[in-house]
Amino acid sequence: MVNETATPAEAAAPAEAAAPGAAQPAEAPLSAASTPPAAAPAAPAAPRVAIVGAGPAGCYTAQFLRKRWPDASIVIYDRHDAPYGLIRYGVAPDHLGTKAIAKQFDRLFARDRVQFVGATDIGTTITLEQLQAEFDVVVLATGLWADRVIDSFQTDASAPVPSGVYGSGRLTRLINGHPAESTEGLHIGRRTVIVGNGNVAADLVRLMLTSAEVLASHGVTADVIAALTAGPLEHIDVVGRSPAGVAKFDVAMIKELAKLPDVRFTSDSAEPPASAVTPDAPTLDQAKAAAIRDLVDGSPATASRTVAFHFGFTPDRVSGGERVERVTFRATDPTALPATLELAADSVCTAVGFTETAGALLRRDAIASPTADLEHGRLADGLYCVGWFRRGPVGTIPANRADARTVADAIIADVEAALHTSPQLIKETR
Amino acid sequence: MNFVILYGTESGNAETVADDLVDELSADNDVQSIDMTDVELDTLTADAFYLVVCSTHGDGGLPASAVPFAEVLDAEQPDLTGIRYAMFGLGDSSYETYSRGSERIDERLTALGATRVGDYGRHDASDGSLPNDTALEWVRNLVAGLDADADADADLDDVAAVAR
Repeated sequence: MVNETATPAEAAAPAEAAAPGAAQPAEAPLSAASTPPAAAPAAPAAPRVAIVGAGPAGCYTAQFLRKRWPDASIVIYDRHDAPYGLIRYGVAPDHLGTKAIAKQFDRLFARDRVQFVGATDIGTTITLEQLQAEFDVVVLATGLWADRVIDSFQTDASAPVPSGVYGSGRLTRLINGHPAESTEGLHIGRRTVIVGNGNVAADLVRLMLTSAEVLASHGVTADVIAALTAGPLEHIDVVGRSPAGVAKFDVAMIKELAKLPDVRFTSDSAEPPASAVTPDAPTLDQAKAAAIRDLVDGSPATASRTVAFHFGFTPDRVSGGERVERVTFRATDPTALPATLELAADSVCTAVGFTETAGALLRRDAIASPTADLEHGRLADGLYCVGWFRRGPVGTIPANRADARTVADAIIADVEAALHTSPQLIKETR
Repeated sequence: MNFVILYGTESGNAETVADDLVDELSADNDVQSIDMTDVELDTLTADAFYLVVCSTHGDGGLPASAVPFAEVLDAEQPDLTGIRYAMFGLGDSSYETYSRGSERIDERLTALGATRVGDYGRHDASDGSLPNDTALEWVRNLVAGLDADADADADLDDVAAVAR
């Protein structure tokens, strides 16, 4: 059983090195036909590590473990044929600098003897128990990728939810060519409402107002471009719960919108009093509010497309016939005026975060043992979690790198402590 | 030569550049690579040549691992006279703050008396390329320049010796 595990040299087979993720390696370390061994293997000096999920959190974990353990056998499984998860299917295709982080991870497979096994669901193809029997360390890094649903959109019992409400995760996967997504039923129309004030909402604004030619140059497929540009879009409302200063977007994302041609931006955000602004050292709140103000002030007075930012409104309900026609919001601050906001819309895009997928095969809270130490990613003996799967759907790719370092440090401490208390195990395996 | 690579990273790209510089230089030189987060000021000496590799984060900000280094430079104001370094910045020219993070470190080092040597290396990620090859090309040119300077110095010594 143990001998089936690819050695580092085998894992660096040229075919795999040339095209990580292009195909399942011939020498998969654990196939569906595998059966658990009779006894758990002894802890070796160079541990065998399985990472489930080849997104940023999983790949960064592999990097840190490889640096510490040059001779460990490290395998990353993913349910997709190709690795890199959010970087491949979530990061906007025009953000090439961020997409390029994947090239850093290519080195894991091409040079650093980490093996990729795609098209493998842990929980069906291979059970978690089988994986734990085969490997000394198992790290779950499957992320959270289901669109969080706005509950109040669903609770009008008198009528079904009109069609035309789309989650941002679905849209960004679609734009990035995810194999399980299709344009069926997708109709953005001339007016759309984007609910949410994070970087994903800013991505959607930018991508929806990007020309077909530019989208095509970034590899977006013709059917997706047709669905996005069919309206064509004339107006986007972007609605967030918070005031502009504490909206979730990064300043650079808002500045980037200024490059879109032929767009007039407006905002209903109240101007902060000049006395509240410290020009030499603006706070982040002030910088965000100023970025919105500069975007609005710098945009043309007339343009064929308009984007209106609305701050401080919480989604209430969608209404219409078969398709959505209107979205209503109420002021987040109940004393604020106006108390409600009603917007006409051909479609609604929700960009309000991510959650666990219904029917997820691996659910953190079901797996965690009573002695779990989630702060350091310890779920149970030899079983760890990292990234959004560990701590929830908050934080960017660099935050998941920091997360991976924390969890890798915990894994290294545990494995090396076990070796220290049982030094004979080192001899046996050397 | 004795090279010390100081890297400041956010997403890990600058660290992979540092790793590659170690691989490139270690055949002929003493090389160590240190995350800026872990730099202690009393280890900065005129005996080493510093290769500073730094990315840019967000709206022209420092990457997370460079922030503690910048803070300690600001707080301690060490005299860096005699310290020589070369700079390699990572950025994305689709943002107006391209490569600004590295400049924030460069400005501090220069202001404290250190001397920047050679070309200011930069990599632009806007085309989706990795910085590593650009950085290797940069460091090869840099080392060639340093060797030429050293030879020139040696020649001057020879001239001086002859004159004596």
